[in-house]
Amino acid sequence: MEAQITPQEARAALDTVDRDRLRIIEEIEMPRWYWWGLALGWIALGFISDLGHAWVTAAATLIFGAVHASVAPRVASGRHRTQRLSVSEELAGPDTFLLVIAALIVLGCLTVAGGFAASADGARNPATIASMFVAVIIVLGGPLLLASVRHRAARRAVQ
Amino acid sequence: MTAARFDELIHPSTRLSLVALLAGADWAEFAFLRDRLELSDSALSKQLSTLEEAGYVHLDRPLRDRRRRVRARLTDAGLGAFNGHVAALREIVDSADSVRALV
Repeated sequence: MEAQITPQEARAALDTVDRDRLRIIEEIEMPRWYWWGLALGWIALGFISDLGHAWVTAAATLIFGAVHASVAPRVASGRHRTQRLSVSEELAGPDTFLLVIAALIVLGCLTVAGGFAASADGARNPATIASMFVAVIIVLGGPLLLASVRHRAARRAVQ
Repeated sequence: MTAARFDELIHPSTRLSLVALLAGADWAEFAFLRDRLELSDSALSKQLSTLEEAGYVHLDRPLRDRRRRVRARLTDAGLGAFNGHVAALREIVDSADSVRALV
């Protein structure tokens, strides 16, 4: 059963395995268009909210939620950056989707708080201002969030 | 805990890389594997055929964009063999380390 290989050869083979695991981990990512689409949708929702028509805001929120619900499950796991590979859940970790949704809930709260703050400050378009601020966080912070997921996956993989 | 079992079929470096890539994925397209391993189409086909014959890899050929793509995925037997092989490599390294510690 035992192979005639030296410990050095075994170590080199294990290094190869670790390197290839890290190559797959590098593929854990969400498409850029998701973050940009989310940010633009967020701003649009803020702008519509500032128009002051409750039913229009409610309808836009529902449409935004429906579109996001149809897109997010496909991309928010971070396992399908391209159509050339599906990273295994074991390697990517099972909680990436929940992490993204939790971040969106926090950003939603931040938008509301920012809107109230801007309104108290006398801004004419408080929701738009707050949503633009959050949109910047989405575009810049989204990729950072996935970088942290990759970092955690790499730590798990080499343990 | 995976039983350590050195696998001669997996051990050659190109095949080990190929199986290690597939072990981290549900599936990977032929082109992805070719680019990552820097192999020619024919060389990768040969490696995949060897693994497929051993029952370690399954090749799907879904139709997309009117083009037939080849997707490879590790079978349960392939994943088990890979995990056993990695465990065997670790045993070799660990036993060498423990001998060195005693000296």
